[in-house]
Amino acid sequence: MDSLATRTLPFVYKYKNHEGQDCESRLDVTFPFDQEDLESCVTQLISQMDPMMRILDENINLENELQTFVDTEQQNFMDDRAETLLNLAAKEEFDMEAIVRNTERLYKDELLQFADRLGPSDEDIFAQSFHRLVHSSSLEEILKRERTYAKVVSDMTDTMDNEVETLNHSQQQEMDSQINQLDITTTSEDINNLLAQQYTTQNYVRKRYESELEAMMGHQKNEYRNWITSQVSQMFQVSPVATPLGNRSSMFVSQQPSMEESFTIHLGSQLKHMHNIRILSANVTALCSPLHAEESLNGLNMALGLYSSSLCGVVVLTPSIQAQANKNIIKNANKSTEFHFEQIDVQLENIEKQILNLSTGDSNVCSGSTSSSSSSSAEGNSEGSATPSPTKKTKPRLKTGDFFITKHSNLSQSHVIFHLISDEPINSPSEINSRHPVILGLRNILKTASRHDITTLTIPALLRHEMSEDMTVQWCIRRAELVFKCAKGFMIESASWGGAELSTLQLLLPDDISESLFTTLAGMVPSVFHVANPKILVDTNK
Amino acid sequence: MASKQESRLCALTFFAKLHPGDVCGSNGLPLTPNSIAILGRAQKLKDLQDEHLCQYLDVIRGKHERTIVVSEFMGLSLEDYAKRQHPLALGQILRIFYQVVRGIDVLSRHHLVAHNLEPKHILISRDGRQVKLFNYGLHHMTKGGCYVPFPIGNIRYMAPERVLGLNGNIKSDVWALALLVVELIFQIELWPKLKLSNVIRKILAFGRSNGVLEKIAREHQCYDRYTALDKELRQLLESCLHVLPKKRPLPGELLKHPLFEAIASEMSKENELLESLEKDPVPLLMRCPLSQIYHLWQLAGGDVQAELKKEGLIRSEAPILGLPQIVRLSGVSVCPGRSQAQLMDDRVVPLRLQALLQRLSRLPANVYFPLLHSPRFPAQNARELQALPLVIREKDIEYQFQRVRLFTRLLQGHPHTAEQLQREALVDVPPLLRGPIWAALLEVVPNGSYWKIDKYTATSTDRQIEVDIPRCHQYDELLSSPDGHRKLRRLLKAWVTAHPQYVYWQGLDSLTAPFLYLNFNNEELAFLSLFKFIPKYLQWFFLKDNSAVIKEYLSKFSQLTAFHEPLLAQHLASISFIPELFAIPWFLTMFSHVFPLHKILHLWDKLMLGDSSYPLFIGIAILRQLRSTLLSSGFNECILLFSDLPDIVMEGCVLESQKMYEATPKSITHRQHALRLHTVHDLDIGVDDVELKHLQQEQCPRISAKDVLHLLLNNPSELALVDLRSIVEYGRVHVPHSINIPFATVQLGEQRLEALPVPQLEAQLRGRIVVCVSNIHQHSVEFSHFLVACGIPRTCILHKGFNVLHSIEPNILISN
Repeated sequence: MDSLATRTLPFVYKYKNHEGQDCESRLDVTFPFDQEDLESCVTQLISQMDPMMRILDENINLENELQTFVDTEQQNFMDDRAETLLNLAAKEEFDMEAIVRNTERLYKDELLQFADRLGPSDEDIFAQSFHRLVHSSSLEEILKRERTYAKVVSDMTDTMDNEVETLNHSQQQEMDSQINQLDITTTSEDINNLLAQQYTTQNYVRKRYESELEAMMGHQKNEYRNWITSQVSQMFQVSPVATPLGNRSSMFVSQQPSMEESFTIHLGSQLKHMHNIRILSANVTALCSPLHAEESLNGLNMALGLYSSSLCGVVVLTPSIQAQANKNIIKNANKSTEFHFEQIDVQLENIEKQILNLSTGDSNVCSGSTSSSSSSSAEGNSEGSATPSPTKKTKPRLKTGDFFITKHSNLSQSHVIFHLISDEPINSPSEINSRHPVILGLRNILKTASRHDITTLTIPALLRHEMSEDMTVQWCIRRAELVFKCAKGFMIESASWGGAELSTLQLLLPDDISESLFTTLAGMVPSVFHVANPKILVDTNK
Repeated sequence: MASKQESRLCALTFFAKLHPGDVCGSNGLPLTPNSIAILGRAQKLKDLQDEHLCQYLDVIRGKHERTIVVSEFMGLSLEDYAKRQHPLALGQILRIFYQVVRGIDVLSRHHLVAHNLEPKHILISRDGRQVKLFNYGLHHMTKGGCYVPFPIGNIRYMAPERVLGLNGNIKSDVWALALLVVELIFQIELWPKLKLSNVIRKILAFGRSNGVLEKIAREHQCYDRYTALDKELRQLLESCLHVLPKKRPLPGELLKHPLFEAIASEMSKENELLESLEKDPVPLLMRCPLSQIYHLWQLAGGDVQAELKKEGLIRSEAPILGLPQIVRLSGVSVCPGRSQAQLMDDRVVPLRLQALLQRLSRLPANVYFPLLHSPRFPAQNARELQALPLVIREKDIEYQFQRVRLFTRLLQGHPHTAEQLQREALVDVPPLLRGPIWAALLEVVPNGSYWKIDKYTATSTDRQIEVDIPRCHQYDELLSSPDGHRKLRRLLKAWVTAHPQYVYWQGLDSLTAPFLYLNFNNEELAFLSLFKFIPKYLQWFFLKDNSAVIKEYLSKFSQLTAFHEPLLAQHLASISFIPELFAIPWFLTMFSHVFPLHKILHLWDKLMLGDSSYPLFIGIAILRQLRSTLLSSGFNECILLFSDLPDIVMEGCVLESQKMYEATPKSITHRQHALRLHTVHDLDIGVDDVELKHLQQEQCPRISAKDVLHLLLNNPSELALVDLRSIVEYGRVHVPHSINIPFATVQLGEQRLEALPVPQLEAQLRGRIVVCVSNIHQHSVEFSHFLVACGIPRTCILHKGFNVLHSIEPNILISN
């Protein structure tokens, strides 16, 4: 069949040259022929002739003849190919059923006309309803309700913490007194028994509260979602006006005014895109603090933005041991009920399962993104196994540069958390370059952000969340410069990705950074990114 | 003509395929998004105009690879029409048959195939006379479906070879058309209840049978109709439905079939009849080209995306729900299932013209069809609008409508209307017609010469061109598409081949970009515009050794800066921030390398009307806009500032440069290397009079005696002549109203005007063109430097000194 895929035929053009002699020029034409190539073929043919012929307009006649030749032969070629194929098909040389299956799948998967119509999912409906409601006068009420719910949960967790604390305390006392009596009235066995007993009690108390909490959260979630849906159906009857999707209001109200500085930059060589850059030092968990902990406007911002096309994301570094998030973030997320998504533990569990799937077989991989083991990922992999395709190891896990995503509606400054795997050992800062997997992971994050309308993104500027003694000023400057430059490159590149434009990039520095180092690093921003010149209005009439 | 009334616009939308993961092209650059490639390919379709094809008007790229196609629409689809008029008469069916064949014949002559023929894509005017193909370009714009995830074409009408994966044969369209006609004749619907997989099996089964038509008739219980069929028609249909494409007729052959002869003659007769009969009240707007109507519709607030949203074709789903769970370094991701909003939905959304029609209905007919040469009907009735800023004028629908209609007329009359065109272009240029208007301003006359130029033979500059193209204005969708790259390469290579005396300098790509952008479908016009543009503004700039030309140009630039902005020039000179450091790319590319396209277009609108000196004033206008920053900056800051030119307000820049251009006597801008249009007069500056070393030594430009005379006679209040000769000489003979400052009395050390022995000198010089005259040239030069240092603008030196004034006739000199 492949021998039929192309066919080469000679084209001979006979003409009289300017002296009246018969000449010919010839060219092998390959079919299938691309019409775009016609002029190029004409050029090749005419360059075999005397330059005079070009001036004598021989090219016009030549082009006509070649066009006729190509048209006829192209048609013949197509017809012949079809004939061969049809003959083969008639002889059942192909797997006809496979063709039927593939064609059918293509039609069913891609054309709405043939697809099994699914109504919008519950999530979708809820998202639409919530988004509509939140952009109406009911906003106040929603927030009030959320706050009340959050209060209940946080009270409960507080009580739990308290009780566990007191229990701990009393147990400690009991234990102390027992130990003091060791070898006098008690044996080590007694102590062991006590330990076991204490452990059971503690576990029991904790479990009790946890199940209570879970029940409470489930209950709250149900009640909340039902309430939202009922509100919307009421609203539909009143005003069927659609509210515009998206909002551009500022997403930040920093919790505690740490060190920070903002810049407006222009990127792009001719057409300039404007972005905001903010460099700040804070603990990453402060960006993911519980939303309803205090009375702030953030609840409003986050609710307005949740289903909009201007989301906020945070990149949090995490070691590769397991799909495990930063403990404090988990705790914060559990401070109140997650009304819109799964509770964070469940999300993490699901991700863990997916990782297992990923490694056992790529069956669940999103179609369209086949694992193209492009050279970029292979050479960037600093670990022993250079193959990016999941190897069948006993314990599958993510590697440096991979990331997983959790979604939140109850954290203060982020809807989306990118958990980027980075195994850089604390206390021995290493040198990395722009091909390092973490940097490439960062690029993937920016790409995902662009594709899913995340317009505010916070990245750890040193690729570290805490300072350590080995991080010298020089090292910090080098590392920050690398991250800044790469981020700038990715942002310039992102203009061609056709997604949402990143409006604000936040560069996060550890909260325990020294003030002088912060100033130094902040001072690098304007030189790396091209800071927009202030526009000064001058009276030109002077 | 009658059907034009209901012809409207419509839009449809689909998603382009996402590139998997992170792959690079063969040149190491990231791959072009498929939606951009589609956009580029679709441009060709816009050019296709035929009475049996719906015209393509626009392709818009939305966020996240969405592509929206705007096309002509009329009447009803065949699907609806057949339902309404059930059953169709045989004569009517044949007429439809015939017209569709005409349509696909046009396509095949343009080397296109439809491959999605189905009743939905055949439109019939409400009176049933006219038939047009619709959405026939999908196969072409998506490169046979390569750029989209979905299959193209309705499976029912698909020829067996297409199911086997063979695309691109026009005879597959013949098959589809024949099936369509069979459906109409038998009054059936093909396999209405069959499952998709079984339909595919049926089609594949055709591949083994011979009597497809008979088989269909038997399957659908209309064998009697089959036998009753006119023998000629039956044979025709059978040949079209032959399993082997080779046996099927080509559209061109079909047209010659005797069956259609009667219809063809009948239709042409009808058309003649209609033409003579109908002068019915078609709204005047509908007689304008559809592309103009669409443009106006957009100006009138038409928003295709909003219309699609209204119809639910663009569904906004919360982006947070679609986020992947895991993304691996390789780009592999685990995401939730694709939402159905991403699937291909082939619904068509009409774009309503009612508002536009109403808006423009008040305008008198002579706005629709302006009369150019009859003074009784002045074409202008929007003078008051011309005072508004350009951006507002470009958005004003009535104003644009008038301009577009006027320029359409002027372009039709070109070159006889060249003068009027020039005059109107001075006001502004309507964006819709900018390409042809520029070409007209550049006196381009297409003559087919472009097609004779060798654009394919490999040359030594190919590599550089290949490197530059993917970096040239790539934010623009047209220029970044593969088609755009191909066209730009051809244009550049053609230019290089056509100019053996020149070489390819980097920057030529940027220079070509605006022309290609405006004439994307007309390479010849783009090429000829560039061909004329370069000698007009960049004479000799593309020589292999262009240093002399560039040096002269930049020295002139310095002089003119001193002329218009003496303080700034002084400052820049003092920190030795010379134009060589920043202005070469400005002038070599006529600013097309430093500004985005939309700004270049406005800039060049004015540039086209000026002569070769105009760019210099644009450069000064830019400096002027940055004056306060520059004056307070040192060398390093200046370098940094210009390394990435800040946002320049183009409108201000254009106005300033125009003001300066008009206020500057022509001889001030004299350059040896400029393109000369007039012969040199005795009182002009001779071609080789001023050498580079003069330019570099003299901070102030020279003015010719002719210009001085002109000012003296017409605008004496604009002129301040400073006579530097001694009092004695001055007493003997001088120009009236000139100021005598004997050079010997001047102490140049102190740079204050007050130090001169003339009272209120500053008041006498400000706001005028100050001409330093002496019979010792060096005196004039030194004194002019002194004036510049004092911050006196518009200082220049009389070329050839005082003595040249003697030769003026009639005499202008007087004596005391």
